[in-house]
Amino acid sequence: MRILVMTKPVPDPAANAERLGANLRLDRAASPTVVNGNDEYGLEAALQLVQAHGGEVAILTMAPATGVETMRKALAMGAMSGVLVADDALAGADIPTTIRVLAAAAATQAWDLLIGGLDTSDGAGGVVTAGVAARLGLPLLSAAARIEPDPAARRVRVQRLSAKGHDLLEAPMPAVISATQALGTPRYPTLKGIMAARTRQITMLTLADLGADMLPIGGQWPSRVLGVLPPPSRAAGRTVTGDPAAQAREIADYLADQRII
Amino acid sequence: MTQSGPILGSTRLTEEQVLLREAVRVLADERVAPRAAAIDRDGAFPEDIRQLLAEHDVFAIPFAERHGGLGADLLTLILAIEQLSRACATTGLILAVQALGAIPIQGAGTPEQQDRWLPGLASGEKLIAFALTEPDAGSDPSGIRTKAVRDGNDYVIDGGKRFISHASVADYVVVFAVTNPEADKPSRRLSAILVETDRPGFTVARVEHKMGLRGSPTAELAFEGLRVPVANRLGEEGQGFAIAMQTFERSRPGIAAQAVGIAQGALEAAAAYAGQRRQFGRPIGELQMVQAMLADMDASTEAARHLLYTACEEIEAGNTDAARWAAIAKLVAGDTAMRVTTDAVQVFGGYGYIDEYPVERMMRDAKITQLYEGTQQIQRLIVARSLLARG
Amino acid sequence: MPATLLVVGEVADGRLARLSAEIASFAVGLAAAGGGAVVGLIVDAAPDLAAQEFAAYLPRVVSVASGAVADGVWAPHAAAEARRLVDEGVTHVLASVTNDGRDVAGLLCGGLGWGILANASAASWDGDAIVVEATVLAGKAIARSTVDAPNAIVTVRAGAAEAMELAKSGAIETRVPVGVPAVPAAAVLDRVAEAGAEVSLEEAKVVVVGGRGVAGPEGFGLVDELAALLGGVTGASRAAVDAGWIPYARQIGQTGKVVRPALYLSLGVSGAMQHRAGMQGSQNIVAVNRDPDAPIAEIADLFVIGDLFEVGPALAAELRARRGG
Repeated sequence: MRILVMTKPVPDPAANAERLGANLRLDRAASPTVVNGNDEYGLEAALQLVQAHGGEVAILTMAPATGVETMRKALAMGAMSGVLVADDALAGADIPTTIRVLAAAAATQAWDLLIGGLDTSDGAGGVVTAGVAARLGLPLLSAAARIEPDPAARRVRVQRLSAKGHDLLEAPMPAVISATQALGTPRYPTLKGIMAARTRQITMLTLADLGADMLPIGGQWPSRVLGVLPPPSRAAGRTVTGDPAAQAREIADYLADQRII
Repeated sequence: MTQSGPILGSTRLTEEQVLLREAVRVLADERVAPRAAAIDRDGAFPEDIRQLLAEHDVFAIPFAERHGGLGADLLTLILAIEQLSRACATTGLILAVQALGAIPIQGAGTPEQQDRWLPGLASGEKLIAFALTEPDAGSDPSGIRTKAVRDGNDYVIDGGKRFISHASVADYVVVFAVTNPEADKPSRRLSAILVETDRPGFTVARVEHKMGLRGSPTAELAFEGLRVPVANRLGEEGQGFAIAMQTFERSRPGIAAQAVGIAQGALEAAAAYAGQRRQFGRPIGELQMVQAMLADMDASTEAARHLLYTACEEIEAGNTDAARWAAIAKLVAGDTAMRVTTDAVQVFGGYGYIDEYPVERMMRDAKITQLYEGTQQIQRLIVARSLLARG
Repeated sequence: MPATLLVVGEVADGRLARLSAEIASFAVGLAAAGGGAVVGLIVDAAPDLAAQEFAAYLPRVVSVASGAVADGVWAPHAAAEARRLVDEGVTHVLASVTNDGRDVAGLLCGGLGWGILANASAASWDGDAIVVEATVLAGKAIARSTVDAPNAIVTVRAGAAEAMELAKSGAIETRVPVGVPAVPAAAVLDRVAEAGAEVSLEEAKVVVVGGRGVAGPEGFGLVDELAALLGGVTGASRAAVDAGWIPYARQIGQTGKVVRPALYLSLGVSGAMQHRAGMQGSQNIVAVNRDPDAPIAEIADLFVIGDLFEVGPALAAELRARRGG
């Protein structure tokens, strides 16, 4: 099986230092960069699948050239190769462009499954993987909690998170899947994996390699941030100490005041 | 720019080194740290930790890929020793001694010898020790009396060694013995010979009870009619002293890494304690005298660390004065570890003196870094000589 | 140029999803401000009831009875119907911030190339262009964004507007499905209900959350008890989910659900940033934690320092007493 996993380098959520730069775009230098969480869950699922069924996992990323560093961890986890689309013209790219570029880059590779995160911790739009499926004209199995391919029959089944539990989906391969945390904790790269990552091939692509019509006409991103406001401030809260019964009374009084009870 | 000056710019870790350091840190925090106090109390070699390091390919770090290793550079090895030592100095030493013992084979061994012995070391299946020191030969190797007398295709070794780390658990010991007593220069009298410890005539005479590093067995060895094939000799006859000196260039940074790791562990413990321990109505970390101590501890640990990393890069790049770099790194790191751990105990106050808290162990562990792998006085001689030679 | 806003409605068990009613009212307000039209879309195997409910909020609803949606995923079919309406003059598509809604938005974006404005909590006009407000940077700021074009796709968050019925219900237009969707729809072989997963955290007015301090699956009994007494729903922090004490469906946070209930009550939740990103919009935040330095104290209206295993039962007793039972 060949599985292509789309990964996005994002500011490390643990650093809690996300901020916009002067140009009202995300300041990617403000925090260390890590692989987006949901993408890692997808990568882990992919690695387990090729362990079970044979085959290889490759990584696809659209990022500045520094994206090779974040790719290293994915390669250290066990992915065999990577494709990085890096082009200065893509700085600050909007969602439709990202979708076009990823779809075009994915189309240059051979795979049975294309996996992307359900959403990213920096953008949180949750639309890119679906958009790529639309561009490629392939079935979308989104919000995956479990992935069960049948390579011989060229079909894949996915458990999709639903309000009540999960829906069991099935589609022919090749198919596009969006990954969630429910797929399971990503492995830590082993030392052998970290060292092996050095020799793994990363193919660099530019827009010139992807064909025409990647960028919006006019050269400007139609989507843009106009301004930033601080979030609505909360009135300062109060601390409640004392014995549990007294604390319980105070909570209940508060709930009554707020008309919760 | 003189030869001993840095031939490279400042050190920046590669992404791979960062990943590797992080992987070892996680291993140390999750699997080693919980065992550290017990290892010190039990005073026995922690076989479970040795298994853990083997399973996680940690032993493979300083070995070439063709021998089953990870082919990592000196700085990468140092990062691993530092992270392990932060949690447990004994564990850091398990990796450091394995690397130390292998250097003579890597540097002076024939390809056939390397293929024979290095893979077992890289996998952690076999352990190795390095035996130079004798009762009358510590800082001064000219006092070495152990002799290896040629008899047909063998050497027969008689004598003994003292203070040899891990010799009681090792499968191989690299023994430095006199093969050329009549050599014109004293530095050409020795040869390095790899001895398999299951050979008749090899005895562990005793294991020392030490101030610190209690989980690391330090052995006294006795050799009586110990017969070893000539094919076990590493390098030429008379080359032993040179092999030992060249070994130290690469092994002293390992001890410096152990020292920096110990210091870092003590610093973190002291800082955490200062944030929680309340006296006079507030955390003691808000008191200026405590802040001053913590600041000095942090500054000197950071300085020792960066000097060590730079030394590794210089040594790996082939700086002709690698000996000076190794010595200066070990000198600063060892003294830093002693100072930082002593101050860490001070921050803890009375609690720092009891074994319920880790800093008394760290202080006991730190002392050895000023003593072994060349005393601080020897390191100072090397640094001074290099400086004066540069004129 | 007058805009036509399309609201893609979602259906759960034959009824209109509450969020879709809110977005309908959001769109009505926006259309009124910009002088445009609004239409709703319902795609379901049995759409009639949901379409009638939708028409209470919108002047016009297109209702598509699609048998394919009974055993195929919904989003490609909904996207295909939305595409038809775009061809008929829709200029902006509004979808829900839900897995289904975001899938429709993404499929449309891939097909149409229109800009997307995600997670809108408010919207207005700047000429022909929609301007939205959305929380960004893990809750650190609110960004005002726009698409400089006469078309856009907007995903709208819960709580962006109150659902308000119109004085007069709108017209319902029934249509047959447009046919095979542009993007093939995966088959749905089964819909499995999992114990503990049937909950709509995002729609709950009260959420009671257990964190690491709950120390095990049994501890969630106390959380459930308080949730029941308050008429709310049980949620969890990531720590509790990762520990296996409660299913992922209950997780609140950046990689789980984002909730903004009238009351968020937590037991043993430290309040790491990634959790706060999922609940900091709650109207009232009451947190119980043993640790006086827990980060959740920073946003709690009431921060109760104590052992949840003592405060929790005491609160349960107090709530029962006040209920008189």
